[in-house]
Amino acid sequence: MQITKLDQMFEVLASRPKKRMVAAWAVDAHTIEAVYSAVEMGIVDATLVGDTEIITTYCRQHGLNCEKLRIVDCKSDIASAALAVELINRGEGDFLMKGLLSTDRYMRAILNKETGLVDNGAILSHVTVAEPANYHKLLIFGDVAIIPLPDLNQKVAITNYLIKTAQFLGIQTPKVGIQAASEQTLPKIPSCADGAIIAKMAQRGQIKGAIVEGPLGFDLIIDKESAEIKGVKSEVCGDADCILFPNIEAGNTFYKTVVKLLKSELCAIVMGARVPCVLTSRGDSEKSKLYSLALAAMLA
Amino acid sequence: MITKLIDIAAKAKTLGYKTRIAVACAEDSNTLGAIVRATNEGFIRPLLIGNATKIREMLAAELDLSDCEIIAQPDETQAAKEAVRLVKSGEADVLMKGLVGTDKFLRAVLDKEKGLLPPKAVMSYSCALELPKYHKLLFISDTAVLTNPDLEQKIAMINYSVDMARRFGIEKPKVALITATEKVGAALPVTYEHALLCKMAERGQIKNCTIDGPVDVFLACDPSSLEVKGVSSPLNGDADILIFPNLESANSFYKGLMLFAGGELAGLICGTSKPVVVMSRSESENSKYYCLSLACLMAEEK
Repeated sequence: MQITKLDQMFEVLASRPKKRMVAAWAVDAHTIEAVYSAVEMGIVDATLVGDTEIITTYCRQHGLNCEKLRIVDCKSDIASAALAVELINRGEGDFLMKGLLSTDRYMRAILNKETGLVDNGAILSHVTVAEPANYHKLLIFGDVAIIPLPDLNQKVAITNYLIKTAQFLGIQTPKVGIQAASEQTLPKIPSCADGAIIAKMAQRGQIKGAIVEGPLGFDLIIDKESAEIKGVKSEVCGDADCILFPNIEAGNTFYKTVVKLLKSELCAIVMGARVPCVLTSRGDSEKSKLYSLALAAMLA
Repeated sequence: MITKLIDIAAKAKTLGYKTRIAVACAEDSNTLGAIVRATNEGFIRPLLIGNATKIREMLAAELDLSDCEIIAQPDETQAAKEAVRLVKSGEADVLMKGLVGTDKFLRAVLDKEKGLLPPKAVMSYSCALELPKYHKLLFISDTAVLTNPDLEQKIAMINYSVDMARRFGIEKPKVALITATEKVGAALPVTYEHALLCKMAERGQIKNCTIDGPVDVFLACDPSSLEVKGVSSPLNGDADILIFPNLESANSFYKGLMLFAGGELAGLICGTSKPVVVMSRSESENSKYYCLSLACLMAEEK
C-alpha cells in the first residue's frame, strides 16, 4: 500500500511483525512517552537503556506499565549510547533511538569505528518525511541536518536514501526533484551542474528505481504550472515525492517552514548506518517523535 | 537532404551565383586542382594571391584566365594578409590557404583588428565524413583546432556542427557526445560536462538539436548496441554529429577511417565571420574539392 498520510504508517505496521527498538539514555518524558505510545499501539517492542530508577519512577508517576518495556540499566548518557549500539550489533534490536543525550554524543556512538553502527565508507544522512498542507502527497527530502554541503558522491548517496525511503513507504517509482538555483544548466552554479549530472546518472541506470529530474527551482518541483511556464517538461514537476536539497541551509529552512509556517507534521531518521537511527530534536512534537519511530520501524 | 559529399557541390551549383574564393599563395598544384575543377564547373570565382607568374603558368593549360583574378604578392605573409583583407572587406566570400605555412596563415586570420574572428568567438573545426558503412554523412569535431576544448568551447563546437548539418538539410541533428562509456563518473571527468550539455539542450540553452552523452561510438551510431547495453538514448543509434572530448581522439578517429575504411571528408574552420578552408596535403584531390564546395555552401547568408 502506498502511504500518503503519516498516520497510515501505523496501520501498515500493525499488520506486520513487530520491530524491536533500542532507545539510548531514554530517561526523559518525551522519549519514554513516545516509546510507550508505540508499544501500546503494538507496532514495536522496546528496550530502554538508561537509569532504571529514573525510568521506573517516571512510569509509576504517569501511570505507565513498566512491564511492557525492557529496561537495561545504565547510569550515564555516553555509556547508554554505547550499550544501545552494542545491543543492536548483538542483534537485539532493529533500530536505534536517541533519548535525552546530545546529538553529538549519540552520533559518536553510532560512528565509532570499532563498536559503532557504520560500515567503512558509509555516508550517514538525515531523511525527513513531511506531510505538508497544500501538497497532495508526502514529501521526502534531505539532507537538513547532517551533511552541510554535500559533494556529488554524497548527493548521489542522499538521493538513494530518499528513493529507498519512498519505496519503503510503498511508492514504487518515486519522482525525485533536484533543487537548484535555477532550472537552467548554469555550469558555474554547483547546484545546477550537480542537478544535471545526477539526472543523467539516473537516466543511465546508475541511480535506480526512480525518475530523477534536475536542476529544478523549488517552484518547478512542487508546481506543475510553474514548470509549464518555464517550458520544462518532466513528470517530476508538480508531482515530486522526493527533493534533494543542494545544502543544509536550503533543506533546513524548508524543514522549518513545514513545521512552523505550514504547521504540518513530519518525521525523520538517519540513514546509512546498519540500522535506521531515530534522531528527534527537543523541538519536535510528541506526534512527530512517534511518527519518526514508525518511520524507522517501516525501514528497519 | 545531402547524404553524399558529391551532393555538396551539386547544391553549391544551385546557389545561382559564383562564390568568390580568396586563395593565399595559390601557386600550389594541390590547391589549384580543386580550384580549377570548381571554376570550370561554374560555381566559384577565384581570387588568386601570390606569385602571379607561377600561378599563370600553372593555370595556363587548365583554365580560362578570364574566369579568375590574379593578384601579385610574392611575400607569403603579405599574401595571407591580402587574402584576409579581401574577405573582410566583402570582396571575397571564402578564404583559402595555399602554399603558405599554417601558422602564418592563421596569424592573419586571427589578427585582432584585421582578422576574421569576431571578438570572443571560438575558432574550431568541423567536418563532414562520408563512410561506406554509415547510411548518411557523419559530422565530427574538433579534428584540427581545439586541443582540449572546455565546456564553452564544446558548446561552440556543437553549434557550429549543428549549423553545418542544418545547411545539409538535417532540420534537428542528433548530437552524440563521445567518450569511452555511457556512464557518468569521476573516472572520466568529461562525462560530467556531457551531462551538463545534454541538460542544456533539454532546457533550450543549446538549440536546434537533440543531444545525448556520454556515449561511445557504438551507442551513437549503432542501434543494436543500445539493446545490447540496455541503454535508451534519444539518438537511437542514428547520430548525425559526433563531438569528441579532445583533438587526439577526433583526429585519430577520422584518420583511421580515411586510411582503413575508405572515408572521405569535407571540413572547414568555423567561428570566423566567413568560411576558412585549410586543407592538409594528405587529403585526397576529392576531399579538397569537397572542402571548397562546403565553403561555398557555408558562405551563403542565411
